[in-house]
Amino acid sequence: MNFTVLIVDDEQDFREITGKHLARQGIECLTAESGTEALKILQGKHAIDVVLLDIKMPGMDGIECLKKIKEQHPLIEVIMLTGHASVDSGIQGMKLGAFDYLMKPIEIGPLAEKLADAYQKRKAHKDKIEMAMVKQNMNRPF
Amino acid sequence: MQRKKNYYTTITRRLIITFFLLSVVPIIGFAWIMKDTVEETNIIKLKELATSTIEHREEVISRFLHEKINLLSMLTNLYSPEYFATPANVERLFFAMNPTGNIVDLQVIDASGRQQAYVGPYRSMIEGKMYQDALWFKETLLSGVHISDVFAGYRNTPHFVVAVTDPLKTYVLRATINSSIFNSLLHSAQLGPSGDAFIINHSGEFQTPSLQNATELSDIEKRMISFKRDSESIVTDTDVYVTRSIDEGKWLLVLKARFSDSLDYYLQIRNRILVIVIVISVLSMAAATYTSTSLTRKLEQSDREYASINQQIVQVEKMATVGRLAAGIAHEINNPLQMITSLAGWTKELLPDENPETVKHLSEYEETITKIQYHVKRAATVTHRLLGFSRKMSAEKEQVDINNLLNETISFLSNEAQNNNITIKQNMDSELPRTMTDGPQLQQVFFNILNNSIDAIGQDGAIVITSRLDASNIYIEMVDNGPGFSPEAMKKVFDPFFTTKEPGKGTGLGMSICYDIMQKLGGSIDIRNGQQRGAIVTLTVPVVSSSTASIS
Repeated sequence: MNFTVLIVDDEQDFREITGKHLARQGIECLTAESGTEALKILQGKHAIDVVLLDIKMPGMDGIECLKKIKEQHPLIEVIMLTGHASVDSGIQGMKLGAFDYLMKPIEIGPLAEKLADAYQKRKAHKDKIEMAMVKQNMNRPF
Repeated sequence: MQRKKNYYTTITRRLIITFFLLSVVPIIGFAWIMKDTVEETNIIKLKELATSTIEHREEVISRFLHEKINLLSMLTNLYSPEYFATPANVERLFFAMNPTGNIVDLQVIDASGRQQAYVGPYRSMIEGKMYQDALWFKETLLSGVHISDVFAGYRNTPHFVVAVTDPLKTYVLRATINSSIFNSLLHSAQLGPSGDAFIINHSGEFQTPSLQNATELSDIEKRMISFKRDSESIVTDTDVYVTRSIDEGKWLLVLKARFSDSLDYYLQIRNRILVIVIVISVLSMAAATYTSTSLTRKLEQSDREYASINQQIVQVEKMATVGRLAAGIAHEINNPLQMITSLAGWTKELLPDENPETVKHLSEYEETITKIQYHVKRAATVTHRLLGFSRKMSAEKEQVDINNLLNETISFLSNEAQNNNITIKQNMDSELPRTMTDGPQLQQVFFNILNNSIDAIGQDGAIVITSRLDASNIYIEMVDNGPGFSPEAMKKVFDPFFTTKEPGKGTGLGMSICYDIMQKLGGSIDIRNGQQRGAIVTLTVPVVSSSTASIS
């Protein structure tokens, strides 16, 4: 499976190891150390499928970042990840349209699976839209 | 426990005493005043009675004496001295003036003290007697009149003498009067059976016999009764005395009345007061006891309630503190755990790329990494359980059949129970309704409790699980026949990290999580020891129908 994940976490080691590990499993990874940087990358030319977003970060926190992402890129799936076991932030994240909510520590296997699930959803969505566009194109008079 | 009991006993006793005194002291005070008033009234009345009696008697006696003096004086005025020199004349006069026999004899003595005439029964004894040195004779000549003290004299009967002289003092006319006439006058003045009435002279000698057969005044009487205090009434502890001087202070008429003689009426009132006081005291005692006991019981009850509420509050506060603390540290612990597991995972990922020939301990490394990951998972379980939150914590409520949930939980543990020869008996109410609650969390509670019971029993025992229903709650009771809780453990059972299990076997979080979950589900958990042994855990789950839940 080939898709691109943006890892947003203030901890550099985590970004690095997770990125390398996912890359080895065929998932392309970009990293951002803050919400602001993540939004910048999303604005750029890279097509991001899934964002892995830490909730507790200095500056813009995960929830705020999630809101912005969903405003600007409603089709990108976001998985919340946190070491802070606050139910409220989890529920809030789900309400704001996060794909899922994961607790640290999580091993690479389940993480990759969850990311793949998110990508599947994203892809299904994308396919639907493309299909609609194709149909629209077909209906267009030559 | 004993100290607490003593504490309440002391309170009860103090309350009883206070209530009793509050109600009885005023009554006793009032009764005391009443008693004193009645007593005083009695004394005043007795004094009045004695005063009026003595006034009357004094008047009669004085009149009697004056009569005699006047009679003799009149005779001396009527007749010439020569007339009295003739015994026959004196005899005629004696008979004429003495129709009642009060006058014993009549004697005429000339100025030189020689007897001139005598009429009376003791003629032979007095014949030719000379009186010029007798005090009474001298006094009569000097002051014109003399009344003697009462004496027996030759006649051996009590009598007294009245003597007068004529204006020229040529002779003395002397009459001896039987004093027993006074006795009858005083007899009728007696007030009560212990009362007395008598006449004394200046030296305190009885001029008339005491009605109580006293021969002389008592020491107290001698001290109190004096001619100077004439007309005063004297009150002692037992008696009242009134006195009047007669015959210009020569004699003192004394009337004595004893309080106790007139006490009948007073005693009646006093007894009535006493009875009232006793009745009121008994009633007050009963009321005080009843009120105090019920007050103390209520106090004890509210104290107990307060203590239990307090305990709950402490528990809630403790849980809240731990919750905050846990949430605070969770991030700090979970992040490094994430790093450990990621790094271990990455190493594991890379290991297969190594050449088994050059890496000597390759399999050892792989094993070690697996162990690291296992232990990270264990640590993560602790942090997650500590927080009590898995992703299910969003408390998704659904229709739950509690009996089914129990059966399912029992099936998880049945192997372990069988291995330890522990039987699990089920006593379920088949009519239990479904209720809106969080099944998995409730199951975790059942599981934790049953697991603890099995651990507590160890080997050979039984667990009885009962479910029943009342108006608004489902009760699940789990009774084991293990050792039960020590008082110390009972206090801390819901405290996080408190465990009685061997180190490493329990996190000490199970029961505290149960407590937390039951609170969140709107139910409760109650733990107590059985009467013989074992522990009884009662869970209460509110019955919520789906319609109510959707409305709320």
